[in-house]
Amino acid sequence: MAQDSGTRTLISQAQLQRGKGKAVYWTLITLTVVIFTLVFIGPLYWMVTGALKSGQEIAQTPPTLFPKHPETQNYADAWNNLNLAKLMFNTFYYAIGAVFFQLVFDTAAAYALSKLRPIFGNVVLGLMLATLMIPAMVVIVPQYVTAIDLPIVHVSMLDSPFAIWLPLVANAFNIFLLKRFFDSIPEDLIAAAMVDGATPLRTLWSIILPMSRPILGVVSIFAVTYVWKDFLWPKLVMPSPETRTLSVGIYAFSGGTPMNVVVAASVIAAIPTVIIFLIFQRNIMSGLTAGSVKG
Amino acid sequence: MSVPQYRKAAAIALVAGLGFSIAACSTKGSDDSGKDASGKTVITVDCQPDGSQKDLLANWNADVKAFEQQNPDVTIKSVSVGQQCDNPPDFTARLTGGTMTDVFYGYMTDLQQVLDSGQALDLTSYANKDNIPTWDSVDPALKAVFTDSGKIYAIPTKNYSMGLVYNKTLFTKAGLDINNPPKTWAEVRAAAKKISALGGGVAGYSDYSAGNTGGWHFTAELYSQGGEILSSDGKKADFNNPMGKQVLTNLKDMRYGDNSMGSRQLLQWADLLTNAAAGKVGMFIGAPDATTSIVQQFQGKYQDWAMAPLPGQDGIAKGTLGGGEGYFFRKDLTPEQVKAGLKWIAFEKLTPGKGQFDYARAKPQNQPVGLPQPLLFAAGTEAQKQEVDLRKANQNVPSENFGLFEATPVPIKGEPANAQAIYAVLDSAMSGVLTNPNANVDELLKTAETKTNQLLAAGS
Amino acid sequence: MATTISFQDTKKKQRGPAGVNLSAGSRTRRGRKLRDNLTGYAFLIGAIFCFALFQWFPMIRGIVMSFQHTKRGVTTWVGFDNFVRIVQDPSFWTAWKNTFYFTVLALILGYAVPFVVAILLNEFRHFKGYLRILVYLPVMLPPASALFLFKYYAYDPSDAGLFNAILKFFHLPTSQWMQSPTMTMPAMVIASTWMNMGAAVLIYLAALQNIPGELYEAAELDGAGLLRRIWNVTIPQTRLILALLAMLQIVATMQVFIEPLILANGAGTQDSATSVAYLIYQHGFFQNDLNGAAALGVIMLLVLAAFSAVYVRLTTKQD
Repeated sequence: MAQDSGTRTLISQAQLQRGKGKAVYWTLITLTVVIFTLVFIGPLYWMVTGALKSGQEIAQTPPTLFPKHPETQNYADAWNNLNLAKLMFNTFYYAIGAVFFQLVFDTAAAYALSKLRPIFGNVVLGLMLATLMIPAMVVIVPQYVTAIDLPIVHVSMLDSPFAIWLPLVANAFNIFLLKRFFDSIPEDLIAAAMVDGATPLRTLWSIILPMSRPILGVVSIFAVTYVWKDFLWPKLVMPSPETRTLSVGIYAFSGGTPMNVVVAASVIAAIPTVIIFLIFQRNIMSGLTAGSVKG
Repeated sequence: MSVPQYRKAAAIALVAGLGFSIAACSTKGSDDSGKDASGKTVITVDCQPDGSQKDLLANWNADVKAFEQQNPDVTIKSVSVGQQCDNPPDFTARLTGGTMTDVFYGYMTDLQQVLDSGQALDLTSYANKDNIPTWDSVDPALKAVFTDSGKIYAIPTKNYSMGLVYNKTLFTKAGLDINNPPKTWAEVRAAAKKISALGGGVAGYSDYSAGNTGGWHFTAELYSQGGEILSSDGKKADFNNPMGKQVLTNLKDMRYGDNSMGSRQLLQWADLLTNAAAGKVGMFIGAPDATTSIVQQFQGKYQDWAMAPLPGQDGIAKGTLGGGEGYFFRKDLTPEQVKAGLKWIAFEKLTPGKGQFDYARAKPQNQPVGLPQPLLFAAGTEAQKQEVDLRKANQNVPSENFGLFEATPVPIKGEPANAQAIYAVLDSAMSGVLTNPNANVDELLKTAETKTNQLLAAGS
Repeated sequence: MATTISFQDTKKKQRGPAGVNLSAGSRTRRGRKLRDNLTGYAFLIGAIFCFALFQWFPMIRGIVMSFQHTKRGVTTWVGFDNFVRIVQDPSFWTAWKNTFYFTVLALILGYAVPFVVAILLNEFRHFKGYLRILVYLPVMLPPASALFLFKYYAYDPSDAGLFNAILKFFHLPTSQWMQSPTMTMPAMVIASTWMNMGAAVLIYLAALQNIPGELYEAAELDGAGLLRRIWNVTIPQTRLILALLAMLQIVATMQVFIEPLILANGAGTQDSATSVAYLIYQHGFFQNDLNGAAALGVIMLLVLAAFSAVYVRLTTKQD
């Protein structure tokens, strides 16, 4: 069996390396590369260059492939008028905080459920996993009502970053992923550490966590992408212009802003994540697939 | 680190984390005294112009500075909430969440909603000449709009009525007489046809059909026919009749009969004004300050624009839509804060020669001066005379551009109760005739009527 | 602060999770057990606090709210009034119809396309990384960015729009896109699939890579052609992940919100875009009807629960 270029898939390697198979393979791959480039980069190109066009040029038929007189005015307007720097900072700040709180609280919880197993731990786990069955839209109204007037203490969380961070801790999927990973860590290791007098926290810190880097990476990636993509919740709990996220801020301004400026703002908003993605794409993609399939 | 310390640290971190998270939530809102550390009264005010309205923002900030100099014991914190100060869903969410500023902007139609939220302060004992020097000149009709059971809840700051806004440059190009704008919907249709014949993606007439603005314009156009949105008892929809039908038919004829409204529809506020500023719109209905927006936000020129009274079916409109805005006050303000807020509104919005009436400042900024609105002061009052004199002295918009609009009084009707929800329903009728060549006008009106009636029944 | 006390006592050296600890007599064991439980809950407290505040409590509160009415700060019990009002909203059935239509279209397009793409990519020995990055790139865009791109440029109904220009170039009839009640949904699904499919493709790819090559080899020796191999090997081997993603996708698309909000300004032309989630938003934050919105949320929960029950039935029967 030819093992040189990966495992056997639907079509055998040998078939693809001979005469007709080879021709078909190369035609197909060329077509795919061209079509995918057009489908996935094309719109982005259109977006970046479209925002360089004047209002007149963008309404022209047929549309121009390259901007005739590229103007950066739309980008400058978007950056200044929408206060994108602030929006971007907010979004990063919320994302980093979300990672922090999820890692601390969810790791601790999963560790307790997996290794410490206190009494009624399974009930707690069951109640947590049950929330996976509750779609976000269903509880959005009571969640909002809770956030604007916390029970007992009667304070409003609006415009406080905790209104984004704390609800994200209540993420049953993370707990599930982490617990399953911790479950796979041999009990002997922990027992040995305990015999040596290590406390549960020390065990978590110096034995479990170092072994769990991949899954912690996955949770972090999920947290960052989630904050970056979430829309309705931040729209509701971050009503002030100073606390908005990028998506919400651009949407809030779209009602009164010329469309080319809105698109320019959209381009600028996309740049940081695209760069982060291109730098960390290997980790992100392997993490995503590992997290979702193998867990 | 020894074992016990480890555990202790973890426990403290956990507990502190939770405690901190709750403490940090309560940072919102000023403290009860309404004063800062140096004993100054602090108020927050929304609807500060945003960065895209450079001149207006600079003017506002300069006004805040001047006001604080005049009133050294007051600090004003301005908040900009977006380009439309009152985006209905955001406004509702702010009311529900209690995140309005101390002094907050609202439409005339928002009174009931603000009252329902229990957030409005009764201003009756504060709204007087001591706090607002021009208060007695303010049109009583406007005060009445913000009054409920004899108590006033907001200070009116803007009042407009709608007419036909038209582009003089396109009129000239199309061979139309700029001094004789269309007076009836039939004439609008004929003019729109000529203007759209210029080509280049120019729409002869343009109208809204999304984001509640479609329903807003439908209402104005229905008023022009002599119709009403609601029955006189306010319990039933009253637009499914020949007048409502005429409104939609006029639009449908222009859109699909003549193809004179352009192919881009589902426009909302900014979309139409963007096109207008780019010289792609011949006519639309709007208030005089639409030209200010075109200049300030959409890089257009006020020199292009003129305004005529709203057209009617046969002759000038039988009625037009009037509306406006004002500032409400939060219930939890101290008397000092209320007084400071009223003084600020008086300074910025209700003093001839200051704030929004500072024509001498607006003129060199190339803002249109000489627009016949906002009509805040009652005719014949001292403040009204001063305002008109200052306006005339600094006028840069030729009076004939708005002369016809000013000289032809069209009865002004307010917006219906529950306006924003009804507008959302009527958007659908507007989008129907503007995007579907086979739209059935009767069906569209029938559906909108049913929905409105259900909405009214649910609300009561 | 009470929780800190349990950590003060650290005299016992041998401690560990329940079941690991084998020493000591029954009295100390009970004490240790209590301590172990307290330790366990000390680790859990943060997560429990957040779950209680933002999941468990709101769920109950949502149900309670749906039977109440609040006006000017006064709350009263109103029985099923909110549900009656919500069901009588003329947009109610339209919204459900639209939502189901979106879900089905998204299932056809957004579910099948990523699987086909994954099968294709899995065969390639070149440009692998490049193609994967391409497919995943839109997932990284903020959704508002992607949707404004579609709204303003791709779906421009004039001939200046990107899609219409392409159609025109190939002499195909152009479309009114979001302005046409019949095209609204397909257009929304196209945009949604474009910006979301990357994640599904990667998950399928991972699943495909786990299929043992011998199975294909054996099938080929049996004379199975390409399509037969897909049908007899690929699909059964990835069945679990296919079923799981179908479930996840249906639950996600039933909550479609941002696509109608941005692409169609909420309702779209003649209510062709109104979704159930948008209706919840509209009642709660537009019409100041939080109780009605809560009732609609409860209805949505019931529908999705019924759907899940059917799903579990179907998938367990197959096994």
